[in-house]
Amino acid sequence: MKITWNWLADYVDLSGLTPERVAEDLTAAGIPVETVTPLNHGVSGVVVGRIEAIMAHSQAKRLRICTVDIGKKKASIVTAATNVQEGDVVPVAKVGAKLPEKTIELADFRGVASEGMLCSATELGLDDRFLPKEQAEGIWVLPSDAPIGEDVVTYLGLDDVMLELELTPNRGDCLSLRGVAYEVGAIYSRPVHMPDDQPVIAPDESLPLRVQIKTDRCSAYTAQVVAGLTLGPAPMWMQMRLLAVGMRPISNLVDITNYVMFEWGQPLHAFDYDAIAENGIIVRQADAGEELRTLDSQDRELTEDVIVIADSQKGLGLAGVMGGENSEVTASTRAVVIESALFDPITTRRTSQQLQLRSEASLRFEKGPDREAVLPALRRATALMVKYAGGRVIGEPVVTGADVVNPPELPSIRVRVKRVQDVLGYRLEEAELTAICERLGLAVKRDPESLLVTVPPRRPDLVREEDMMEEFARLAGYDRIPSTTLEGVLSHGGLQPTQRLRRIAKDYLRNQGFDEVWTYSFVSGDSHRLLNLEDDHELAQATRLLNPLSEERVALRTNMLSPLLDVARYNASRQVDALFVFELGAVFVPPSADGGAVQPPLEKKVLAGLAYGAAGSEPLYARRRYDFFDLKGLLEGLFGRLGIASALTYERSLAPYFHYGRAASVRLNGDLVGEMGQLRKSVTNAFDLSSDVYYFQLDFDHLFESVAQRLYVVELPRFPQVERDLAVVVKRTVPVADLLTSVRAAVGDLLVSVSVFDVYTGDHVGDDEKSVALRMVFRAYDRTLTEGEAQSAVDQALARLGVDYGAAIRR
Amino acid sequence: MKDRILRLQDTALGELAALAGKDLDAWRVKYLGKKGELSQALRSMGSLSAEERPLVGQVANTVRAELEAAYAIRLAEWEVAKERAQEAEETIDITLPGRTPRVGAEHPLAKIIRRIEDVFVGFGFTVEEGPEVEWDYYNFEALNLPKDHPARDMQDTFYLSEELLMRTHTSPVQARTMEKRRPEWPIRIIVPGRVYRRDDDDATHSHAFTQIEGLVVGQGVRMSDLKGTLLTFARVLFGEDQEIRLRPSFFPFTEPSAEMDIRCIYCGGAGCSTCKHTGWIEVLGCGMVHPRVLEMGGYDPEEVTGFAFGMGVERIAMLLYKIEDIRQFYQNDLRLIRQFAAQAD
Ligand SMILES: [Zn+2]
Repeated sequence: MKITWNWLADYVDLSGLTPERVAEDLTAAGIPVETVTPLNHGVSGVVVGRIEAIMAHSQAKRLRICTVDIGKKKASIVTAATNVQEGDVVPVAKVGAKLPEKTIELADFRGVASEGMLCSATELGLDDRFLPKEQAEGIWVLPSDAPIGEDVVTYLGLDDVMLELELTPNRGDCLSLRGVAYEVGAIYSRPVHMPDDQPVIAPDESLPLRVQIKTDRCSAYTAQVVAGLTLGPAPMWMQMRLLAVGMRPISNLVDITNYVMFEWGQPLHAFDYDAIAENGIIVRQADAGEELRTLDSQDRELTEDVIVIADSQKGLGLAGVMGGENSEVTASTRAVVIESALFDPITTRRTSQQLQLRSEASLRFEKGPDREAVLPALRRATALMVKYAGGRVIGEPVVTGADVVNPPELPSIRVRVKRVQDVLGYRLEEAELTAICERLGLAVKRDPESLLVTVPPRRPDLVREEDMMEEFARLAGYDRIPSTTLEGVLSHGGLQPTQRLRRIAKDYLRNQGFDEVWTYSFVSGDSHRLLNLEDDHELAQATRLLNPLSEERVALRTNMLSPLLDVARYNASRQVDALFVFELGAVFVPPSADGGAVQPPLEKKVLAGLAYGAAGSEPLYARRRYDFFDLKGLLEGLFGRLGIASALTYERSLAPYFHYGRAASVRLNGDLVGEMGQLRKSVTNAFDLSSDVYYFQLDFDHLFESVAQRLYVVELPRFPQVERDLAVVVKRTVPVADLLTSVRAAVGDLLVSVSVFDVYTGDHVGDDEKSVALRMVFRAYDRTLTEGEAQSAVDQALARLGVDYGAAIRR
Repeated sequence: MKDRILRLQDTALGELAALAGKDLDAWRVKYLGKKGELSQALRSMGSLSAEERPLVGQVANTVRAELEAAYAIRLAEWEVAKERAQEAEETIDITLPGRTPRVGAEHPLAKIIRRIEDVFVGFGFTVEEGPEVEWDYYNFEALNLPKDHPARDMQDTFYLSEELLMRTHTSPVQARTMEKRRPEWPIRIIVPGRVYRRDDDDATHSHAFTQIEGLVVGQGVRMSDLKGTLLTFARVLFGEDQEIRLRPSFFPFTEPSAEMDIRCIYCGGAGCSTCKHTGWIEVLGCGMVHPRVLEMGGYDPEEVTGFAFGMGVERIAMLLYKIEDIRQFYQNDLRLIRQFAAQAD
């Protein structure tokens, strides 16, 4: 919302104030002023002049010499402009004049002196976005009644300042000069004076008009017939004010409705009286499929939700949104009907959204304008049309609708003084509360312990006691609120167990050299294909957005792999040849299609990582590449840190993005909790990665369920342990983990640990065999083991390995 | 005899000075051994008179002691020299790089979240979370934003269905927490999380970003408590001498509402381009919990009051770390991320 300083001064006394000061105080009161911009961008010495004569230049075909009356004096000015004629009134920059872009000096054009320059609107620093085309190009031809010799800064009202307000959605009242005037009035305790026009009805003329409201979504409809209008430009000051607040001047009639809308916040519309069949306006809801061609020449198909202004035969306009082409005011219009009405805010909002017709009018209707402004705005527009378009007022205005015919009683809010003090945290005395109400223009009555505040309809945002608290607090000044400490019962703060473990996991990974990354949650619709996943794969069934912004981000990620591969690709293309990254974030598993209610996807917090390149950080030592066992060790270290010791198993994973022989699914107590391994070449190639790339993803919340929360110390052993090594030959395909499991089962309690310390394949064993060297540690808790006991434990292990896997002791 | 012994001492000491390694051992055998020269000299003492014998014996013992001491010193000298020579042999270039274990970096947003969580945990707040895919009810309606409320335009929303959406703020966790805890109070929570707005990505807008929300509900919670809490927070995060300023604002779920500014951390309030020459920087939105929100959460606004605040984590990270483009947080350029490997805040 833009306003100008001088315009505002029409309604509230601004003497002794500056735009900067008011901007600051409005901001502090909750009406943020974003910018304070002088309308004059550096124009001086430019006056209104009339071209009396134009002569050709003898030396230059494209130049003409104008004799210009600049008041008391004449100037001879050479111009190349083609759009001026004798008699035109134009802005003339005299010698010594300043324009935003240049200073005017006495100039010589092929032997002819030019005592100044004729100016275009752009040269005067006006924003040509809102200028009519004929004004934006060439010299600006001013209205013929412009006073010759007057400074254009005065004439155009450039000696003004534009303030741009950044309104919060609750302050629709400040979408008008009136609303802002009330705010300024409240801040400085100054009264607001709105124009109160009483149009004089032309005698002996009659143009009948009837209005019928046939919908409950129109609470007021008032209309005035005005005849004898002359369509032309609005007065320059009005055009300039509209320009300054960002409205394009169009014609006196349109400009007047816009001007009054800005002044009162009440949108108005003007219909051609003769377009209304049977002199009867009907306000009704549209029929489904009803069509209407709007002022912008678009054919609109309407729904029953839309309110139309119609006559007995056809629609004339979309209520509160845009008029119809068939009732547009033109040069041949004999009389107009000015409409000032109230339409249901939600309906107007929906209509303008559906039809994508956001206008200054619909914007104001959405906020619910003030019923007390409906008639004053109508009278104001009527008076201005009389004054600036030569109109005659035909009859009394038509006034229908409960909000104007029989307005409901004004609501009031009970404000408990103590409550205000308790909630704000400091003592605002009753007298000050009362004074603030009065400054706001709110009537207030006193009870013993409370105030009864009557709220006028221009402030629909004031509904509850808390709304008044904000009024009190902001007008007293938020800086008066003290800083205090929360009182009441002690509460201990902290992270929840899962959050604490997440931090531990992230710290662990960072200490293992992994950088934390954050990727977007939205992926493209076919991201799964790059992962070698068929369209019917579970991970390809991503939940989709109804209204995505781009093809790149249409669906919720079901896995972390493609986002992390994107990170790898991004960095690899920037010469990063070793990358270790992880992310802890949500993936979204679509609900199983149950054909019933739409359920949200299951949000899983997963911990995922991607690694490739040299295992060490210094090139001098980094000869080994990161491999599967680095990754597996990383995860086992993590499980150890989290306190998940047992029951973890690794099975070969056949996920389509993994290397067939180098990937595992991770199971905890039999449940799938993650996967890890080397990515398939065809996948990494698609992301322009040349190294072997390793990936893991863990279902984090699932892991937490198995995390030990409490720590208990195990008694230290009192008897020595005995170590024995055993090398066995088995088929190559036998997983070592299975051998360890067999040993554990065979030996039982005496076994402290069994681990593998060598795996050999080669000349000394068969082609399909391998030798596995195991180290076993035995101990009894209550005695020192004898040689014989240790040996028999080894024998048990060997025997079991022989039975289970055909293992033979290696000689 | 005595002279002979003293000459022997001179000769022996003269030889010893230059000896090393096995030669030292040979010297010891030669002069101090059982069959060494000193012993031989003493053996010939039988030819001396009874008066001379003790005298010469004394001289001989002194010489033996001196030679043994000289030997010990020489041996130690030689061993030091030997070790040094060995070490010279093994000398390395100590300026070559160490085998540094790689230490990863914390993402800047994670770092800010951790810092803010820690501040509020210190104040007695717990950390709550909620889903990123949210029901319209929790994201809007329970926060006093009924359907068709114009303030819904403040937040352009990604929808999954009529009723399901990507949450536009972390505030639904307010509603969820109240629903979960009612009628118990106090509630003192801080809520970090990812949120979504249907904005085109540019230097200052992102379709996904991070918020931290705070909620306090209890008996006698005042707006001055909100101000005091935020002031302490601002001082921990932005510096001990920070000041804050509250400006009236509007959020559907708070009343009264405010924006909180801090003194510009670049110019200290003098005015610069970052603070648009106002000396203040907007950091968060806050207010007293709207009575409708309390009611919908199952609390009686006459019995308890509350305050809430919410801030954009990216914005704070951009301020603190001088990051100019919000997209950089999600680009994951390791040249940027790696700068967050050290502990510095
Ligand atoms: Zn600054």
